Amino acid sequence: MAGWPESPRLIGTEIPRLDGLAKASGRAKYPSDMNPPGLLHGAMLWSPHAHAKIKSIDLTPAEKSPGVKAVVGVMKEGATVRYQGEVIAAVAAETEEKARDAVRAIKIEFEVLPHVVTEAQAMDPKSPEVFKGRGLANNTRKGNVQKNGDPEGGLEKADVKIEGHYSAPVITHVCLEPHGLTAKWDGPDKLTAWASTQAVQVTANELAGRFEIPATNVTVLTDVMGGGFGSKFGADLWGLLAAELSKKADGKPVKMFLDRAHEHLAAGNRPSAFAHVRLGATKDGKITGMIAETHGTGGASGGANFPLPYVYLVENRSRSHSDVFVNGGGARAMRAPGHPQGCIIMEAAMDDLADALGMDPLEFRLKNLGERDVVNQGGAPAPINRTKVYQDQVRIGAELIGWAKRKPRGTNGAGPIKKGYGMALHQWGGGGAPDKQVECMINPDGSVEVRSATQDIGTGARTILAIIAAEVLGLEVKEITSNIGNSTFKPGQASGGSTTTPSMSPPCYNAVLAARAELFEKIAPKLGAEPGDLSLAKGQVLVKGEAKMSWKDACRQLGMVPITTLGKFTPGLSANGVGGCQFAEVDVDVETGVVKVVKIVAVQDSGLIIDKMTWNSQVYGGIIGGLNYGLFEERVMDPTTGVMLNADMELYKLAGASDIPEIVVRAYETEEMKARGVIGIGEPPTIATAAAIGNAVTNAVGVRVPHWPMSPMNVLNALASNQGKA
Amino acid sequence: MTENDPKPKIGASRRDFLRGSSLAAATAVLTQQVQAEVAAEAANLQAADAKMLSGEVSLSLDVNGKAMTCTVEPRSTLLDTLRDRLDVTGPKRVCDRASCGACTTIVDGAPIYSCTTLAVSCSGKKIETLESFDTGERGVPHAFHQHDGLMCGYCTPGFVTACKAMLDTNPSPTLEEVRKGLDGNICRCGTYVGVLEAALAAAKAMKGA
Repeated sequence: MAGWPESPRLIGTEIPRLDGLAKASGRAKYPSDMNPPGLLHGAMLWSPHAHAKIKSIDLTPAEKSPGVKAVVGVMKEGATVRYQGEVIAAVAAETEEKARDAVRAIKIEFEVLPHVVTEAQAMDPKSPEVFKGRGLANNTRKGNVQKNGDPEGGLEKADVKIEGHYSAPVITHVCLEPHGLTAKWDGPDKLTAWASTQAVQVTANELAGRFEIPATNVTVLTDVMGGGFGSKFGADLWGLLAAELSKKADGKPVKMFLDRAHEHLAAGNRPSAFAHVRLGATKDGKITGMIAETHGTGGASGGANFPLPYVYLVENRSRSHSDVFVNGGGARAMRAPGHPQGCIIMEAAMDDLADALGMDPLEFRLKNLGERDVVNQGGAPAPINRTKVYQDQVRIGAELIGWAKRKPRGTNGAGPIKKGYGMALHQWGGGGAPDKQVECMINPDGSVEVRSATQDIGTGARTILAIIAAEVLGLEVKEITSNIGNSTFKPGQASGGSTTTPSMSPPCYNAVLAARAELFEKIAPKLGAEPGDLSLAKGQVLVKGEAKMSWKDACRQLGMVPITTLGKFTPGLSANGVGGCQFAEVDVDVETGVVKVVKIVAVQDSGLIIDKMTWNSQVYGGIIGGLNYGLFEERVMDPTTGVMLNADMELYKLAGASDIPEIVVRAYETEEMKARGVIGIGEPPTIATAAAIGNAVTNAVGVRVPHWPMSPMNVLNALASNQGKA
Repeated sequence: MTENDPKPKIGASRRDFLRGSSLAAATAVLTQQVQAEVAAEAANLQAADAKMLSGEVSLSLDVNGKAMTCTVEPRSTLLDTLRDRLDVTGPKRVCDRASCGACTTIVDGAPIYSCTTLAVSCSGKKIETLESFDTGERGVPHAFHQHDGLMCGYCTPGFVTACKAMLDTNPSPTLEEVRKGLDGNICRCGTYVGVLEAALAAAKAMKGA
């Protein structure tokens, strides 16, 4: 099949998203906005305890509560709850107030059991073993040691060595639209659900499986949705409960969305990361060896591993990782799973070693990239050496941040406000799945539709499909209907791993090319020309470059039958594997510990960019997400009571408008990069920000601040510890 | 005081004060004050012909210039009433306790958090949600669209409404004033760069510049 157009009219320009005005005027209907006739409201009883046995439970008072139409028990007498927020029962009632009253009416008695809710508490040999039968010791699953070369020998050969303990806390997704869906039965075996999901088809299949009905009888609709960040890939227990309650209530629709506290507790989180790292290098700055022991918690379900070493070439290395289990909600994928943690740990150690060597950390980094770092091409024309890409990107970024102004660690003046600079590198895949399909329809009235069972989680996926169609057909973007977010359409990509755009763009392009070819076949005879002589531009059909007929008139020639084509993935239109670097400038008040991020610079490649406007937004958003991780976010658990202390949005801190620094985004978009085809951008730009900020803070204050976020407490503790006051 | 009690520091602490003989007197003073305030409040309520509401009550609200009627409970928030009873779903429920601004609604010209405002307290007031805003080139929604001041869009109604309310009182804000004006709102996708651009562009457009 053909490659992407060589001189595109629309691709790569800044195009506002198709659903932007609907969203900005309150007209877009989110799954949580749906109010179908007869709607019932769901509410759930969840465990207030971190660990407890249900001594008795009586749902009858809920069933008798005013306005209640259905009650479903999830956990029975004798069952054990393992985290605050674990779902015990659900009700559906005429109003949400009544549903909540009914939940409160449930009679339940707990036998509270000993809990562990922090990593330190879980690993303490004096703490109880709360996850029996999993083969754990001290609530910890030790992983195998991954070894390469001779790590001990490598460290012995080093001229300079550092040893560091670094950590980053558990954070939660805080999707603004809570998890949930509205379910409605039409007859005994036909189900419709409006779901806030990143994967309409996964959600549909789960619902079909749970109720043992044909997948074709389930329709999941997600026209727009309010954020997922990796935590919304299925129906979830609450989605299944909504459908079950609806079934019990004679098919009346049931809306079940989590409240804010429940979101924090039960709807996913990014695991913590703790590391003890030894890293050594020769005096000319070549890494000789690394030994790292790491652990982290993914709550009650594990999954806290992360990549390490990260980005840099470390031939002699060993790494052992342990998953720590705590009485907390399970981890879920969160924007570039594992990478932000790996980046923080690696880049902190890199900076500390550069400082010990007395070397510019930028130069030290460049010295330790592999000579060749060839990334998966996914069928793209020429191999890419990511090391060369990094070298270019770092040069550009250093210039934009003013790296030359950076002073060595701890030499930032005598006043209380210290300026610092830091940097970090990251990488990601972001390739396309080869099994997705897009349909294209050209109707006799000239309207055009592309459709597939993917969804737009705010990335701009809907707009991207329309841009591709408009490019091929010589139309305006707004003339294309991009019909997605419906599970009954042809297989579309789940929105995760930065794979949506690279998965969906090739089949979309192929579908529209095929539709155009068919149109040319049909109308060429009527224009007295060969199909090969035809082209499209500015709403006109051209014969050998000369406008002969309007688009609408050409489509009218189709009579009653629209053109319908199906596009599949072909290699060469998308690729996998990106790199990027970020730089941070901060001002730190060493008397209060308050960090002000002054400026962030991001240089990022991602192959061929389809919509520069939504691409920029994704990069800005990734950086701001990373800024939250770097400065503010932390799930705070109380070891004594076992509950989360900040399951809200005032004590769980997120940046507001006044916290946003100057952000400079530079797309690394050379001809070589464009030739690679489309690559996803959702995740890469969120990886390096927190690491770069932490390194900038350390550069400013003169001592390593080893624990993220860079909160006043962590900054002041680091300063005090250096003065022997901790 | 016994001998084992810690020695008071210089000056009396509040605890020592209350513990001492003046406790009874202090309580009496406070009680008198509270009683007077309660009596005054009761008189005010009587003068205002206030009534105790309970159970379900019928409520008429002026929403976007339309009279809308529904049944609510006295505890129902304005936000839930708009969204669940009146199908006015522009304002969103996110934090449900006045920290994120997604529910921002304009009541009698002032932006409020509708998630912590009781619906029954809005009777007779002019309620505006972003559905009533100008969607043309001079409106705030258009500026948010053109400057990509949104991604998933769930915080957007709150930002758009807060922005409109800010521009109504300050038609020519500086960037710093825009930041302050929108600090009551939180975006998780990280769309602030587009939001700030959009707010400045909207200010210009509203003046017809």
